[in-house]
Amino acid sequence: MVWLGYAILALVLWGITGVTQKLSTNRISSERSFLWFCWAMVALSAAVLVVARPHWGLAPVVVVCSVAGGALNGLGAWTSFRALGSGGKASIVISLISLFPLLTVVLAVLLLHERLTWMQLAGAVVAITAAILLSLEPAPAKTEAKG
Amino acid sequence: MSEEGRSRSLPLWLIWSLATIVLWGTWGLVSKIASAGVDAYVNQLLFTVGIAPLLVFVAWTVGKRGKSGESTGKPEGRGKGVFWAFLTGVLGGVGNMAYFQAMVKGGKASVVTPVTALFPMVTVLLALVFLKERLGRVQWLGLALAFVAIYLLNA
Repeated sequence: MVWLGYAILALVLWGITGVTQKLSTNRISSERSFLWFCWAMVALSAAVLVVARPHWGLAPVVVVCSVAGGALNGLGAWTSFRALGSGGKASIVISLISLFPLLTVVLAVLLLHERLTWMQLAGAVVAITAAILLSLEPAPAKTEAKG
Repeated sequence: MSEEGRSRSLPLWLIWSLATIVLWGTWGLVSKIASAGVDAYVNQLLFTVGIAPLLVFVAWTVGKRGKSGESTGKPEGRGKGVFWAFLTGVLGGVGNMAYFQAMVKGGKASVVTPVTALFPMVTVLLALVFLKERLGRVQWLGLALAFVAIYLLNA
């Protein structure tokens, strides 16, 4: 169950970014915020170079998938900003986007032949439902500036 | 766009939202495939290579708006805004590495992704404590379901 520890670490770190991102976009534009987010990724990778032991001879499919991971993640963030900037209500857009793990589950089962127990399948459905409910902001008590 | 035109085509926000689902949904799949042959550190390097073209594009867009005199942000507290954005990138990047490591350690994409997608539970708790935001009943329900989901996915 070591994987669960790492998954929860990711969950906590990404959860904190929900707050830091808001603190950022309250002060600068979302585009500029995204740009500095990317620069931080570059800085982190430079730091990782100190401890990483990149070895040549990686399987091409692995390299393609890793690079594609960055591109898909970054483009996804960009399209989510575009969705919010194209007149979509934040509560609807974010709730809709929260469905993305559903696609991962379907693709993993179909293409990677992963098998889920009934409990895990129920857990995936409950997790996606929870993510959608958490994304629904309560009606504001007073008007609040949002970046 | 006219009412008639809008009713005939999908709204733009829906198209961008669906694109996000496809992009992030596929990200989980390719991460699992990559986790079979590379560690989290090297993946982070390659991940950054993948994000680089977008960085160049967004930098170009922001630079172009800056030159045309268009406002690209709020002047007050810009330094702090940059700091928080940078911190978001560092935390997000380390989070990516943890997500990837969960798959390296044998976690299934179909389980790890739904678990990590519960990150808004941490955000709402932090916003409750530090930003003094209030939670609606629906969010409390979401929070409770998040714990149930982690239990079920771990079963």
